[in-house]
Amino acid sequence: MVGAVWRFAGASFAALALSACNFESDTGFIEIKTVPISLATVPPLYLGSEKLDTLKKGNAVLRQRVGTARLQIEAGNGSLAPLCDLVVKKNRITTVTISVVERPPRCQCRNTAGPDRAQSRTCIS
Amino acid sequence: MTGPMFGPRDGLRSLVLVWAALAFFVVAAAPVRPALAQVQQTLPSDAITPVEEYARQVEQLKKSYPDLAKRIEDSAKTIDEVTDVDKARKEIEDLREIVGNMLGAVSDNGTVSQLGAKALAHARGKLRTLEHEQRFKQEERQFLVDLWRKLITETEHATDDLDTARKEFAELLRTLQTREDFIDELMQVRRAAEAIRVIRELTKEIRDASDKLKSLINGIKPPGV
Repeated sequence: MVGAVWRFAGASFAALALSACNFESDTGFIEIKTVPISLATVPPLYLGSEKLDTLKKGNAVLRQRVGTARLQIEAGNGSLAPLCDLVVKKNRITTVTISVVERPPRCQCRNTAGPDRAQSRTCIS
Repeated sequence: MTGPMFGPRDGLRSLVLVWAALAFFVVAAAPVRPALAQVQQTLPSDAITPVEEYARQVEQLKKSYPDLAKRIEDSAKTIDEVTDVDKARKEIEDLREIVGNMLGAVSDNGTVSQLGAKALAHARGKLRTLEHEQRFKQEERQFLVDLWRKLITETEHATDDLDTARKEFAELLRTLQTREDFIDELMQVRRAAEAIRVIRELTKEIRDASDKLKSLINGIKPPGV
């Protein structure tokens, strides 16, 4: 009986460790740039619901789980306004530049899923 | 077909450059440790923890990838030599894995970067506190302040080098994915070329069959002709 419990515990631990490995390995990167670089003009940015730290020198490279993440910006009334969706693939980097001089700020994807770069709101790696 | 894909030596050069950047970052970050030891002799151990942890993480990062440069260079050479598209793609995937791991460590939300920010904030806070500290004699206080200033400068340098490494790795990852995308495009061209070949063969077969049919029709003579 005790042996079975230990075996079960061991198997559970192994499964947990394995799932942790998968979680770690299934990540890609997001590079966010702001133009112009001046920090004062950039309202807080959110990736999903997570608030991002202030971008150093207008640039940040973030590790992100594989999938689609929504980049949002804090509007004047405190609500979040979606800017664009970022598709993250394993060990690949998706780059987006946010033009903060425009009102409202706008995403400029380095690569887009559709043919129209200016209009697309989905950035790919 | 493989010429434009594997020919450019600048790809290899950029890989080696990135390694050089990493090596520079690791070497530049290394002086944090001696300064740390100095400060450790004079300050309580709990005060130094974030800075020490940062130095330890940088050290670990250095140890984790002792043969990274060789692996990158070997893989880049293999890609240059290989003519098999699948193999080339696998090599690039492996390289992306290596670079991804490195970039993960130095990314803005990665362990080392966050520790660096924490270490810097802690050291600056400590300096501010010491500047108004009344417990010590003037020269003792000045001594401690100088040590913390030195530590802050070195940590800032390490953080700057981390920024450089981050940019280089991000750029390298982009180069690798562009190459991989190019290989994918080539594979699509190859598949399209294969499709054209099949269509041509089919056309030829249809034409042959048509010719045979024509000659058969022509060969049919009505009775009495």
